[in-house]
Amino acid sequence: MTGFFRRIAMAAISLSALAGLGHAQMDERRAEAELIADRVSVAPGDTFYAALKMTMDEGWHVYWQNAGDAGLPPRLILEEGTSLPEDAVGAFLWPLPHLIPVVEGEIMDYGYDDEVIFAFPVTVPEDASGEVRLVAEADYLICESICIPETADVSLTLPVGAPIENAVAGAEIGKWIARVPVDFAGEARIDDAAEPWTLSLRQPGGFPEGAQIRFFPFKHEISHPAAQPQKAGAEGASLSLTPDRAGSIAETLDGVIRIDVPGAEPVGYEISASRGEAFAGTADRNVQSALPGTGAGAPDGAGDGAALGWQRIATLAFFALIGGIILNLMPCVLPVLSMKAIGMVQAASTGHAGELKSHGLWYTGGVLVSFLALAGALLAVRQATGSATLGFQLQHAPTVAILTLVMFAVGLWLMGYFELGSSVQNLGGSLANRSGAAGAFFTGILAAVVGAPCVGPFLGAALGAVIGQPAPAVIAVFLAMGFGMALPFLILSFVPGLHRILPKPGKWMDTLKQAFAFPMFLTAAWLLSVVAGLAGAGAVGWTLAGATTLVFAIWLGRQGGAVRKGVAAVALGAAFIYPAVQANVPDTSVAGSSEAAFTGAYGEAAWSPETVEAMLADGRPVFVDFTASWCASCQVNKLTTLKTRKVQDAFKSANVAFLVADFTQKDPMIAEELKLRARAGVPMYLWYPAGASEPQILPELLTQELVIGLVEG
Amino acid sequence: MILSRRHLSLAAGMAAAVALTAGALIASTAEAAPAPEVGAAAPEFTGTTSFGETVSLSDFEGKTVILEWTNDGCPFVKKHYAAPPSNMQSLQKSASADDIVWLSVISSRPGSQGHVSPEAANQLTTSRSAAPAHVILDESGEIGRLYGAKTTPHMFIVTPEGELVYDGAIDSIPSARVEDIPKADNYVTAALDDLEAGNPVATPSSKPYGCAVKY
Repeated sequence: MTGFFRRIAMAAISLSALAGLGHAQMDERRAEAELIADRVSVAPGDTFYAALKMTMDEGWHVYWQNAGDAGLPPRLILEEGTSLPEDAVGAFLWPLPHLIPVVEGEIMDYGYDDEVIFAFPVTVPEDASGEVRLVAEADYLICESICIPETADVSLTLPVGAPIENAVAGAEIGKWIARVPVDFAGEARIDDAAEPWTLSLRQPGGFPEGAQIRFFPFKHEISHPAAQPQKAGAEGASLSLTPDRAGSIAETLDGVIRIDVPGAEPVGYEISASRGEAFAGTADRNVQSALPGTGAGAPDGAGDGAALGWQRIATLAFFALIGGIILNLMPCVLPVLSMKAIGMVQAASTGHAGELKSHGLWYTGGVLVSFLALAGALLAVRQATGSATLGFQLQHAPTVAILTLVMFAVGLWLMGYFELGSSVQNLGGSLANRSGAAGAFFTGILAAVVGAPCVGPFLGAALGAVIGQPAPAVIAVFLAMGFGMALPFLILSFVPGLHRILPKPGKWMDTLKQAFAFPMFLTAAWLLSVVAGLAGAGAVGWTLAGATTLVFAIWLGRQGGAVRKGVAAVALGAAFIYPAVQANVPDTSVAGSSEAAFTGAYGEAAWSPETVEAMLADGRPVFVDFTASWCASCQVNKLTTLKTRKVQDAFKSANVAFLVADFTQKDPMIAEELKLRARAGVPMYLWYPAGASEPQILPELLTQELVIGLVEG
Repeated sequence: MILSRRHLSLAAGMAAAVALTAGALIASTAEAAPAPEVGAAAPEFTGTTSFGETVSLSDFEGKTVILEWTNDGCPFVKKHYAAPPSNMQSLQKSASADDIVWLSVISSRPGSQGHVSPEAANQLTTSRSAAPAHVILDESGEIGRLYGAKTTPHMFIVTPEGELVYDGAIDSIPSARVEDIPKADNYVTAALDDLEAGNPVATPSSKPYGCAVKY
């Protein structure tokens, strides 16, 4: 009933406003707003997370804390009926926004579409009893091409008693808290001596290649719609910022940098750039910018010519070269080499060495052209399917499941369990029979073509490595592999005597081929462990079932007969598709920015009472983090405190044993410990100073100062 | 290893060539229009009013000019035209009484919110009891872009000498709520008071708030 009276009062208050607005939008809102909490019930003195959850209609967006050129950020106005003091309700934690280009190059806004959750901490008064009530009005501007100010009455009521986690809402809130930018671990400087300004971001080792960085200011020092041309180097990256016409920097330039890397969740860091000269090594090369930060997820169409990590590409190319050389030992390539190439060497060795060299070069050209065509085809497919966003970070469980099965299948093939494409062996022979340069060139193409069934596995490996890379890297790696394949013959053509020591084709090749199966199986095993980490034991079971189905399909197909082959084909499809579907679980664990918040090791070891005793016996202080992926407060503490470089450095210098007790899955040992400490759930933080036998139980909301104070105290 | 070194340089060289090609293909991004500076001369413009007259900024030399970007469908504009308190209308009336030229500019492109025919523009003036000296129909957005108008409302003040002395929001509380008007500091009023007292404008620019101009 109170709600009813409050509504009447509300209506009276807002009547004048509504009169001005022409018509009320009470019934046809463009967004659903509700309050959720990570607790089912709370205890006096507790701090928990509540959140305003907004689900917007297609095409409508709400704004970030800085809306940009136009728009307003949403807010929550506490109203009569709230049983909490004003200061008990904290401010919104703003998740990483994306760009909303309103008028291309002229008006830029910052915000969210589809869904957004603004979490905020709530502290229950020590004297609370009965229930805690939050009654509020969500006041927000929602825009498509036009803007509508909307309000929604939202409320939350939680009984006061034993604190009980709300796993579902907690996971949701945790997921969005994980998207709140954390403090940048590197350094930021703004050079405003000349226009455009230079924002220099120092991060030793630089940013990941392909990273597109966009700066979102908290205020309006810069022109929001202006492009931010990016440069990169071994020490970080820098952005050119166009100042707003009245823009000047008082002390620092504050805001958030959003980093989009193909195939990964965008990551945000909060920066406070002090004025000064740009850092060295942050502007060594230009990075093509493809207006990053416009999508809520990963950008599509990984940029051609995005930042290249030369060293990484060189490493990949080197391995591709080795792979190419190994190709020559494969049963489907060596015969070609032996029959055609060696024949040519012998024929030419009686003639002119000069002609032989040109043959070697033409042959190399043929191989390279084939591999270039392959790279081109791959890039075209990637462009068409957008699969570049799958990345090689192995963060997408279905991709990893399929990759596992592919590696397993390659292992089977290497073992000789089935044959591939013997029909192509007879292709192009007539072309290669030509004499002279053309013959050598086509022999090169032939080597690549007939070698394709063997090249496949190696290409697959190279492909896995470069699928998320920019086009130049893909082309470089493929050409390196082709060059490796052509290399032996190239050497032969320059050093004619060498062909005598060339191994003769024989049974040893099959043995070698089979030996290559074991690394493949081991790779599959490792990938399976990645699947386990990403999607759990169920997905692993399905992947193994897929592997079994794969073997079954091959076994059935080998028996011949149209019906059997048809069934085999269906089984083959199912073997790959079903595990991938099963592996595609909603990821409730914390991903994205929290993972990247501090890339150092999180937790030295898993917690157990014995580990604690052992560490204490070694004279080390011990910090234990009782955490769970569905616990929002845990994620916040992780982000704001435990994972930060400052805290990790303090742990390191004091030789603290940092143990993690993960309660994501029910664990009787952890439950026992919680009971022992009279705690209903996680988070729980235990601090054992060096030599202590009993721990201090820390508050549920950590701060860097608190933890560092304990460690250094 | 000579070979692999040669190979590496080959691969790097090739990738470099491709990267350079890609670099050459970088699309030049649209530059934000350079907007006028507060303290500098206000840009000269010529526009057509809702009565079909042609007016230029230079026509009003010797008088203070106020430019108001508007779009009648925008909630923020509705807030300031809401009666009561008729915030925008009373500003227009007091300006007119002080011999200040008030120009309302509509930069909405045809088909977008706020774009109106000349008749509809006059109808709006009447129905809202508004009192601008002129309503300028800028459907090409040329004048809006010249001034860097971002939002509706977005206010500019030009001195009798043609100097731009204010660029920004109408007041200090960015919201669409009518009840915030009395609580807010009106920057336009404050700037006019400063000018009248012969002082420099204390708040010469502020962040405009409202709907994006529908260019």
